Amino acid sequence: MGPTKIKQKRSTSTTNEYLDSITTPSKPDNSCLISPNGKAKDSTSLDNVGDAQVSDESEFEIEDLLSSSDEFVYDEDGIDDDAQVMLSHPIEEKEQKHQKEGNMPDLDYTVMTMQDIFENMLRRVDHLQPIFNIPREDILLLMQHYDWNEERLLENWTEKMDELLVEIGVTQDTGSTPHVSVATNETTPQGKTTESSKRGVKFRENFTCLICCEEKNTETFSLECGHEFCIDCYRHYIEDKLHSGNIITCMNCSLALKNYDIDNVMGHESSKKLMASSIKSFIQSHNKNYKWCPYADCGCIIHLRDTSTLAEYTRLHYSPFVKCNNDHRFCFSCGFEVHAPADCNVTNAWIKKARKESENLNWVVSHTKECPKCGANIEKDGGCNHMKCFGCKYEFCWICDGEWAPHGKDYYQCVMYNNEDNPKKSRDANLAKYMKKYTFYYRIFNEHELSAKLDWKLGQTIESKVRELQEQMDISWIEGQFLPDSIRILNESRTALKWSFPVSYYSDQSHNLTKIFVDNQSLLSKAVEDLSELLQIKDPIEIMRRKADFYNMSGFVENRKFALMECGRELLCRGICKPMD
Amino acid sequence: MSRAKRIMKEMQAVKDDPEAHITLEFVNESDIHHLKGSFEGPPGTPYENGKFVVDIEVPMEYPFKPPKMNFDTKVYHPNVSSVTGAICLDILKNAWSPVITLKSALISLQALLQSPEPSDPQDAEVAQHYMKDRESFNKTAALWTKLYASPDGSTGSADEADLYGISPDVVQEFESQGFEKDRVVEVLRRLGVKSLDPSDNDTANRVLEELLK
Repeated sequence: MGPTKIKQKRSTSTTNEYLDSITTPSKPDNSCLISPNGKAKDSTSLDNVGDAQVSDESEFEIEDLLSSSDEFVYDEDGIDDDAQVMLSHPIEEKEQKHQKEGNMPDLDYTVMTMQDIFENMLRRVDHLQPIFNIPREDILLLMQHYDWNEERLLENWTEKMDELLVEIGVTQDTGSTPHVSVATNETTPQGKTTESSKRGVKFRENFTCLICCEEKNTETFSLECGHEFCIDCYRHYIEDKLHSGNIITCMNCSLALKNYDIDNVMGHESSKKLMASSIKSFIQSHNKNYKWCPYADCGCIIHLRDTSTLAEYTRLHYSPFVKCNNDHRFCFSCGFEVHAPADCNVTNAWIKKARKESENLNWVVSHTKECPKCGANIEKDGGCNHMKCFGCKYEFCWICDGEWAPHGKDYYQCVMYNNEDNPKKSRDANLAKYMKKYTFYYRIFNEHELSAKLDWKLGQTIESKVRELQEQMDISWIEGQFLPDSIRILNESRTALKWSFPVSYYSDQSHNLTKIFVDNQSLLSKAVEDLSELLQIKDPIEIMRRKADFYNMSGFVENRKFALMECGRELLCRGICKPMD
Repeated sequence: MSRAKRIMKEMQAVKDDPEAHITLEFVNESDIHHLKGSFEGPPGTPYENGKFVVDIEVPMEYPFKPPKMNFDTKVYHPNVSSVTGAICLDILKNAWSPVITLKSALISLQALLQSPEPSDPQDAEVAQHYMKDRESFNKTAALWTKLYASPDGSTGSADEADLYGISPDVVQEFESQGFEKDRVVEVLRRLGVKSLDPSDNDTANRVLEELLK
């Protein structure tokens, strides 16, 4: 059976046949695309396909895959005439994703940066100014003091305006002495100036600073209180406090330094540092609603307005994944990368375990490997798991060390942990077996992680590849987007695949659904490897010639990913997968 | 090096003010980071007539960071650990300001002895004693002052029970039931029992239970 005219077939064939034709065009009898679901809504999604008569042979229906897979189908032979249809691919793909995730509650969140928050604060200050009728700088101090809790501030403001101003150090409390009665015992600062001119930086000759006890010609600083100290000491003092996020007061009393005082002493924009640390401590203390993007050097902040949806997510074993402005996706609950199909519990259990076992195990299995045939040391430097030894030309699978040939045709069997051997019952043997099982899963997990890193590197070069295509093949930028799209799908799917192994590790191996899950893993593994291999093509002409393959493969991978995630979620919802130590 | 200059100046200021009855000395002339300070117990308190020695460590960032202070003299006070002499005082922590000197810090310690803050205790056992029975607390604190803080250095020995303000009758009662004195005192201290109402069977049983463990 040669390349198939899928478009034609779609209207007449049963869905199973149709699927087969995508995955294995040469072997139409190999039909084990299963995904577990029999809910009512599936039948409607099947209806969307048009004429689906689901074969009765499989006890599970093929729901996720089918609901919208027609969007990804392209004639494998037709290369150029389908170009227009393909352009719409990314948009449709997004819509489809939305539809898929439609049955879980919406996460209502915004992405912000420090600058956004800062501007927000200034806007709120502006908004409060007519009510308070005091300088903006003072309102900022009040807000800072009240941890940006406007309501509590307003409440207290109406009750005890004057006390509040003393409390935060805007005005001096004339009734009481400064909180330390030190400076008065000793030489009082040589301030003879009037109240208004006391505040600020001045130059003095032969000034003796009480802090450093040096007598010198120096600049000094003081507030209206007249507690005057040399500028060096003040700088040292402020520098120390800038990171605290608290209001900075005079060294000798409770009068507050305003932002312009700080800038005056420390130089331009130093008060921003104080504001930044104030914002940081605000986020720290409101970490239920606010989360930093965990990616290194990414300053984005996610603000989740309504945390009540999180409980619903947990209940349904979804994870609240969010995306920051720099396209970093992570889980709002646990701060890890996107870890579906595993939920946060599985993820935490797995990470903890990996940390615990790492001393014994990690590095032994993670780096180089010997060629299974000739024993030459091989380091993997590309994303695909199809390895070819440079020495003996032996082709093998990086994951299972088995020969590659059957991998291409049959579905992967190397993701299935075979626990039928080793019947010894002694405790040591059990432990060894347990370690072996963990090692097995950990190794696959690790391999996919490494592959994902390499894929990511590949992704970094993709822009230049698109440009190359534009120059050499004379295509538009938008037309070349199938490459970055494919890379993105590859990355996401590999991550999903990676996190599916902790799920199968913690699942009851004997349960039918686990077996189905493993089958789903196999399917996704195979699809991911195919796509990964496709992305290794360097020649622009070849890339353009196989454009349809890119679309078909990435669409298929995407669908397999969703099927796997749904299956994993069901494992969790039904308690078949239970993280334990 | 402004820090050395400042410390020297602070020493001078202490010497210039003999009325305050505060001393400040280097432990070792070659090390300006380690000092011993002392002050007198405030009059009208159980600490009267005592001389309290404080170990002072001056950090590199002084005066922008507070000095580390610890009582060398044993003090019976809610905000001072009766075991280590550690002090719970805000100006030695986050409320520190560079204008505070070693002398003023010592004065603050003196003020702390005058007015304890049992709501923010360093030594929970002592704080409980302070809040439950002020009279008994004062007696114990005065005993500690006499024993450990006599300016002439005479340190007598005192009964274990007295030291923790436990009424001798209670100790006697449990001793007569065949328990060792040290153990009785230890348990009574742990449960915070200083005296015992004859009708209070609950507490007596609790002590007995603990003793029999």
